[in-house]
Amino acid sequence: MEETQNIDVTKNPEAEDAIESTKQKQSEEVEHHCDEQQKQSQEEDELRKLLLSDIEELPLSPPSATQLNFVSYFITDFTKPGHDHYIYRHANGLCVIGLAPTHRAFKDQGGITNIDFNVGKSDRSVLKVSGKRKKNAMRSESNTALCKVSTANDSYIVRCCVKGSLLEVNERLMKQPQLLNSSADREGYIAIIMPRPADWTKNKESLITLEEYKEKKQDILLEPYFSDIPHLRRLALMSDLSSRIVSQIEYYFRRIRAMTDDIHLILRSMGSSTTVEVQVNS
Amino acid sequence: MADETKPASGDSAGLSNGLVSHGDHKSRRVYQAARSLHSGAVKDLLSLGVCERCIFRLVSVEAFDSDLSSVSASTLRSWLESGDEEAASSEESSCCIVCLGVLQFVFSDAKQTLVRSECGSDYAARVTDLVKEEGHEFDSFGLEVYVPATILENERAVLLYLKGKYNSESWLQSEKISVKDALKVLVLDPLKVSLGAKSDSSSFQIRLTYSKASDEAQGASETTRERKKRKTDEENGSTSMSENSFEKVYEPCILSIHCNKMPIFFSGRYFKYSRNVSQTRWIIDDERMGEASVEVVHLELIGGNILPACLGDSYKFHAAGREDIDVRMLGSGRPFLIEVQNSRKCPSQQSLTEIEEKINKSEKKLVGVKDLKFIGSQCWAMMREGEAEKQKQYAAIVWIARPVEEKDIDSISSLKELKILQKTPVRVLHRRSPLERERTIHWMKVEKIKGSSHYFLLHLCTQAGTYIKEFVHGDLGRTTPSMGSILGCRAEIIQLDVTDVKMGDS
Repeated sequence: MEETQNIDVTKNPEAEDAIESTKQKQSEEVEHHCDEQQKQSQEEDELRKLLLSDIEELPLSPPSATQLNFVSYFITDFTKPGHDHYIYRHANGLCVIGLAPTHRAFKDQGGITNIDFNVGKSDRSVLKVSGKRKKNAMRSESNTALCKVSTANDSYIVRCCVKGSLLEVNERLMKQPQLLNSSADREGYIAIIMPRPADWTKNKESLITLEEYKEKKQDILLEPYFSDIPHLRRLALMSDLSSRIVSQIEYYFRRIRAMTDDIHLILRSMGSSTTVEVQVNS
Repeated sequence: MADETKPASGDSAGLSNGLVSHGDHKSRRVYQAARSLHSGAVKDLLSLGVCERCIFRLVSVEAFDSDLSSVSASTLRSWLESGDEEAASSEESSCCIVCLGVLQFVFSDAKQTLVRSECGSDYAARVTDLVKEEGHEFDSFGLEVYVPATILENERAVLLYLKGKYNSESWLQSEKISVKDALKVLVLDPLKVSLGAKSDSSSFQIRLTYSKASDEAQGASETTRERKKRKTDEENGSTSMSENSFEKVYEPCILSIHCNKMPIFFSGRYFKYSRNVSQTRWIIDDERMGEASVEVVHLELIGGNILPACLGDSYKFHAAGREDIDVRMLGSGRPFLIEVQNSRKCPSQQSLTEIEEKINKSEKKLVGVKDLKFIGSQCWAMMREGEAEKQKQYAAIVWIARPVEEKDIDSISSLKELKILQKTPVRVLHRRSPLERERTIHWMKVEKIKGSSHYFLLHLCTQAGTYIKEFVHGDLGRTTPSMGSILGCRAEIIQLDVTDVKMGDS
């Protein structure tokens, strides 16, 4: 190898040098490029390490954003028996109002089918609150009517439960009332109210905590109902199942549902009239 | 003849007995100007107790100029009085009834000691001493002078008296330079020499504030009744200002000096490594818990280290946006400005680099800094640059209610320029307008996390002003679409880090 090199050099030293140096430059450039890529991926690795540095502390079932930032209160049998509501109060004082799992409306077969915000003197869904000072917000008392929810059999007036300024109603419910059945405690919330500190202090006296609510409504929470998902929630509430477990059960429940539908199809096609049923017992 | 006047430093040579025949042309000019003044008026004013330079101010037709500062007051007096080689009166001139000693270069200092200077350069030397005490480094300065309002009243009284006696004279008609401006004219050049600096309307201001010595001995400090009487007198055309109006005691003013430098700016990028998450954010006894404060106390580390290096009075920290208290700032860092008030010296780039290293090497590792440097007036433009187009990059650890599947990773990564609608999040709704904002998620990338089927790492690049947490958990359905709605199950955000703040093309 070395001999060949020597011969080459003597032949045409300058050209060789030139080629050598360009080759070197190229390989340097390639190296440099590799270096840069390496550096980049090194940086990415370091970043990833940083990002996942707290990974051992990841809880198996994390608390939801609602649980972290809100305190849950309930008011039961408000103005009428069976009218149970939740009031989730945020750390900043705002209150999210909705139907508690034991509300009478959920007992009716088919659950809630419709919601109407046009109650009392005005349509709550058309109010436009603007600005930091929340101009034009409707001032409400705790028994001011908020909306009317209807089921197949009946209709129920939902009231504000909290004295304050009505900032927002969940107008998505008008197009998707089934949100009240499937997730009354999240996407199915009804309104957001901002109470004054003095008003809240007084109001709070008529509210109960989650624990007190569970105790008070034990019987209802354990009754079997038609709609299964809310029933699962009630079950979870009573048995203190973690939210993760509940959501997993819901997920697999839906999967089982889909599978039973498939099984039915196959059975029908075979001409059989056998049915498959899945039941949840407490 | 033995001379009584001692030429103070700065006096031109050969003034030992008032003769200017061999003095420099400056003093000759002044001498000639002195001789050309209306002698009657000069005599009157001298006997009233008006100082020499004020007499020049009020009686001279020519412009008041700086040459007057180089001639001592006593020499001036001698020229005004007689004009030939008579020795100047040896009596100590009393405090001027108009300028209260300001133009006589007499003042009381902070310790209430009377300070006299014979000429401008001596006065400048004393002022320089006081300026040096403030400790500023500078090569140019601007001069501001404040004098008490009574000086204006004194002057008005004297002019009224002169008008009464010499109404028709031409020299009385011209506009008189104020005491404030006269002082500036007198001392600016000597100050330039004494401080070794240029004068301009620069970032460094020296303020000379003369204030009343005490409330009693103020001369023409009018009571309301006197003022009304004077006004009606003027209206009636009576000039009843007699020499009696001036028989009060006049005291020199107190001089205080204040130096102020315009703010200077430093720029850089900061990193925040700490995540102040308290596990219990519950409301205790219904005390409204303030929303997690966005003021990150440990960012003060940066300013706190720069301030002593500048020997400044105080500083302000400005950042291009901010992150929540439980969010870390990683990656390329966030641009910031430190504004230092009244700095006395400008630290070198070397010392800035040392400060940067010191912060980055600190044990606690709460904050990091990069590219710390001095920046000029373009700093605000830099901060505004691309504000509307600013894109931000984040990394979030997300939990979902069901196991992560391959199709999830694909479906998320395939979403480009996703438009979302965000209602004002509940957590800030108490202090912001209820609005619906449209934002864009430019791209997303999912990384599985080893050992956990429900958690994944979500990288995303979004438009400025996007609420990331709400995009993940949906904020009770008020942000659509959300991570949860895209994946068809509940999603929660466990932690959030900012990985890039793009500024224009940097």
